[in-house]
Amino acid sequence: MKTSEQLTDSMFYIMAALTKPRHGYAIMSLIEERTKGAITIGPASMYTIIKKLLKQEWIYLYDGSNPRRKTYLLTEKGKEVLEEDVKLRKLMIELAEMGLREAEE
Amino acid sequence: MRDTKYMMSGGLAFSEDKDMETLRKYSLKGWHVRDFKFMGYTLEKGESADYIYSVDYQTLNKEEAEEYFDFFSASGWTHISSQGNTHLFRALPGTKPIHSDRETVAEKHNHLGSSMKWTSISLVLITMLLWVGALLTDGGLQLTIIVMAVIFSVVAIPIAWTVMTIYQNKWKAEGKMGFANLIRIVPILFILCVSVTILLVVDHNPLLMLASMLLGAVTLPTIVWLIMSLYHKLRGEEA
Repeated sequence: MKTSEQLTDSMFYIMAALTKPRHGYAIMSLIEERTKGAITIGPASMYTIIKKLLKQEWIYLYDGSNPRRKTYLLTEKGKEVLEEDVKLRKLMIELAEMGLREAEE
Repeated sequence: MRDTKYMMSGGLAFSEDKDMETLRKYSLKGWHVRDFKFMGYTLEKGESADYIYSVDYQTLNKEEAEEYFDFFSASGWTHISSQGNTHLFRALPGTKPIHSDRETVAEKHNHLGSSMKWTSISLVLITMLLWVGALLTDGGLQLTIIVMAVIFSVVAIPIAWTVMTIYQNKWKAEGKMGFANLIRIVPILFILCVSVTILLVVDHNPLLMLASMLLGAVTLPTIVWLIMSLYHKLRGEEA
């Protein structure tokens, strides 16, 4: 594997929501909405992961003028990491689907 | 009638879940937590309500705090009180938990642990050095060092214990049960080492007696415990 480590699921969801500038609450509701409520992010997890992604420089502070509603956006590096991870996750799905098809035959 | 009362905490590192469950029970009886107080909480009389409680640990500056608390209120969690880096929240039953994954739960414990880790390691080291010093000296100097060593022990042991429990919580959250269980043996090992040292070094009879008693009191249950857990493990594998 080329990337050092796979993203945790929560990091993956949050990065997937930050392809456009969004603030924390918007990220949480977008994830919930787009997965029809199957995936939710708790506020403590959200805050911890935002801090972590900022430190890794996979996202950056896009607009900090309203301290309650700071918006974030993926960096170039963050986008690459996300794309790599999507590839890997696709392989994971394919692997399982092939296995399940095999079981049906 | 008094409209506030005090509830003792079991220590958040040791009994976070139990504390939160007790706070919920008090709320059902109309006593709602309002604040942290020394080693516990202040409860205030009000209407009975079903509330669930959660704590999180996070070091925040003033600007970060606004965003942090906003995440919680947007998710339905009301901030009640903070003490240092410990923050207490309340919500209605059914509100999604403040942590939605295992990784960030582990990080929560790690956050708390790392802030205390170096203090506790240095305290333990100083305490050990003092005890060694006490063994190597005699007369007035020895007495002074012993007094200092006792004082340091009184401080170092609870802190070290707390830090170990926090790391135990962290490893549990990460699913590293082996590490988590290892920590349970540390206090027993510690008492064992101290007893053996006393046996070897001190030749006063009453102390010798005490040490032997301690050694016996610890060794016997440990052996029983070891045999029992081995037995359960073997049976568990058969099943």
